[in-house]
Amino acid sequence: METNAIQTVEDTKQYIVVKLGNEQYGIDIGYIDNIVRMQMITRVPKAQPYFKGVINLRGEIIPVMSIRVKLNLEEDQFTYATRIIIIKTNQQALIGIIVDEVKEVVTLSEVDVEKVAYDGNAKDEMANYLSGVGKMENELLSILNINTVIAEKTEKENG
Amino acid sequence: MDVSQYLEIFIDETKEHLQSLNEHILVIEKEPENVDTINEIFRAAHSLKGMAGTMGFKRMQRLTHDMENVFSEVRNGKMTVTADLVDTLFKCLDALEEYLTNIQETAEEGTEDNEEIIAALNKAVEVGTGEQPAEKTETKQEKSEAKASSDGEKDEENRKYKQLVLADFEKHAVQEAKEKGMHIFGITVFIQETCLLKAARAFLVFKALEEMGEIIKSVPAVQDIEDEKFEFDFSVIYITKEDIEKVKAAILNVSEIQSAFMEELTVEAEAKQEVKQEETQQVANAPQTASKPKEKPQTKTSKPVVNRSVRVDIEKLDVLMNLVSELIIAKNGLVSASTHDANQGTQGFNEQIEYLERITTNLHESVMKVRMMPIETVVNKFPRMIRDLTKKLDKKMELYMSGEDTELDRTVIDEIGDPLMHLLRNAADHGLESNEERERLGKPSVGSIFLNAYQDGNNVVIEVRDDGKGINTEAVKNSAIKKGVITPEQAENLNEQEIIGLLFRPAFSTAEKVSDVSGRGVGLDVVKNNIETLGGDIEVTTKLGEGSTFTIRLPLTLAIIQALMVELGDEKYAIPLNSIQTIEDVNISDIKYVQTKEVINLRGSVIPLIRLDQVLDCPPKEEEPENLTVVIVSKGDKQAGLVVDNLMGQQEIVIKPLGKYINIHKIISGATILGDGEVALILDANALV
Repeated sequence: METNAIQTVEDTKQYIVVKLGNEQYGIDIGYIDNIVRMQMITRVPKAQPYFKGVINLRGEIIPVMSIRVKLNLEEDQFTYATRIIIIKTNQQALIGIIVDEVKEVVTLSEVDVEKVAYDGNAKDEMANYLSGVGKMENELLSILNINTVIAEKTEKENG
Repeated sequence: MDVSQYLEIFIDETKEHLQSLNEHILVIEKEPENVDTINEIFRAAHSLKGMAGTMGFKRMQRLTHDMENVFSEVRNGKMTVTADLVDTLFKCLDALEEYLTNIQETAEEGTEDNEEIIAALNKAVEVGTGEQPAEKTETKQEKSEAKASSDGEKDEENRKYKQLVLADFEKHAVQEAKEKGMHIFGITVFIQETCLLKAARAFLVFKALEEMGEIIKSVPAVQDIEDEKFEFDFSVIYITKEDIEKVKAAILNVSEIQSAFMEELTVEAEAKQEVKQEETQQVANAPQTASKPKEKPQTKTSKPVVNRSVRVDIEKLDVLMNLVSELIIAKNGLVSASTHDANQGTQGFNEQIEYLERITTNLHESVMKVRMMPIETVVNKFPRMIRDLTKKLDKKMELYMSGEDTELDRTVIDEIGDPLMHLLRNAADHGLESNEERERLGKPSVGSIFLNAYQDGNNVVIEVRDDGKGINTEAVKNSAIKKGVITPEQAENLNEQEIIGLLFRPAFSTAEKVSDVSGRGVGLDVVKNNIETLGGDIEVTTKLGEGSTFTIRLPLTLAIIQALMVELGDEKYAIPLNSIQTIEDVNISDIKYVQTKEVINLRGSVIPLIRLDQVLDCPPKEEEPENLTVVIVSKGDKQAGLVVDNLMGQQEIVIKPLGKYINIHKIISGATILGDGEVALILDANALV
């Protein structure tokens, strides 16, 4: 839906580079409220399967989502490098997403980001969650479309 | 200073006055001769007029003015209260309420003139008194003139501006103005004693004066006047080019100004007065203080027992509430620290905890009390509503209320009005039979609707009961089948309670014909939803031919509760203490099966067992223990036994929401943070039973 949500008038943008398995993903730094270490997650029964549960972040209770489950990747393996990225969206509510590793912050100019067209009914669900592909020196960075990642899937898939 | 800062007060007070008008007009409809009530109405109408005028709401002022006229005639015994008049008056109140809503939303009163109502009011006066309104205003004017002349005698006493003392720089300014050929006036303005927004009046006078000249001194000081720290008069020294008549006219143009005394001052006079001032100050103060006791009893009688309330911004309360929450979390931290190293724990440490516990409990209670409001504020609009329904539905009915002083959390109060109104309308429209039918059935011709509120433990119960025909379960069942809510086969297996439950399904109405009172089927499901979001529940009991009772059960407080902490595997859950009855040890051999469901027989009553670990999808255990720990919870008269692995003890917990994105099953009512920072989910026993 909002594939161009990340686009702004500025020429350059900063992205946090995170690792999920072998792939690297970029998250627009504007969405990020906080990055915390992996901690005790309380399971919430009967919630969507991609929600691992809730955590306590300084007195606030925040739902934590497994981006791996949501993107149909293999289950999370929690390691010392695992982090929870706390995302603040324009709806003002906080949500945490689990990533394998947080690597660095990169600055990409807009010309280096190629937009991914999503035709709405593509079978490739992945494309729905990406807003573009950024070119770094000699690597590619898939930029996550945070709004679609945290949005509810349209089809009902849980009880 | 700006009138808009009074808007909030104006809205609140107007609401209060409208409410009291509503109540009193209801009384007067039944006892047209009740003098006290007539006086009360007159006063409320008068205050309304004054306030609307102050705020510059001309249309509202005009309407209340005409209303006041009517009451003035009634009070003087020149006309009597007729049913027609009462109807007109209620229309009048509705129009005023509309103005008020407009003002609340846009700070403007809107453009509706309500000419019809005004015409009806004036006609009522004409018919009632047999007098031409024109004459009346004339006599009024005469009266006020006569009053003015008698005021003249007290003139000297009222010229308080003579007591003003000018500082050097002020004298200098006066001198300069004099040289420029400007007039210097001493002015004392008296505001009507019935005036409610004195400061606003004073402000309007100041504004009028400042348009034409300059105020160089005022007593009391401007700041004090703004803060309403003055009696009913204030004096100023004023420099202007305009002549005395024009200034006087400008002041008197402001409404609710009783009178203004003024004269031109000469500088010499000022100087002399200054000397005299010191001597006369004592004397001058004397009449002022003497006049005070006179005013006091007057103001007391004009304002009878009004709820003395402090209006607190709800956001500030929420902040306070959050602070308390954190305090409790901190306390829980201490508690868990003390149990961890119980060996080293000294007595002093424990005392500290007890002390902290006492503080937090008290703080919690007092904050809760601030948030509490009597349910009265919601229910007192209902008698009027029932009266209107009586006319609209052509059914005789009477509303009996009790427990209006039962207190509930502010947020609950704000939300409970609509559901209650809906239930009452339902009772009036569907519950009660028509007049003829009641007579045929040998029931009293006037139907009764009861609204009872009372506190029951940690809950507040509100009952809406009628003595009408009750719910016809067969009709409900047939209607549900016809609408496709259930299949005929399903209908066979439903018991009475389940059939009544169908009423709360969306898009369900048993009324054969839709009236504009109720019956569109968007009702009871919304009522149920509203009540459930408040953490409460609703139950119906009914007896065909004798009436039905809707019982609403609401939690007293919303944010902090006492809970029993339990363990399931290594997960921790909180069960609200108020739904727990007992805790039992049950041997596995005592479990019986009824319709393949596990039950236990506890002291004669059969209680279904709920395996919490299965309901909550916990990882399965390797082996079943011999003895089960069962927490017996209840909802109304239903009971259930929750099987848990371990009991951890009782704790005061702070309820936190789980956030927006995550889907929450209704058996989880929230989460809380334990002493060690871990999150535990709160189970809603009501949803489990």
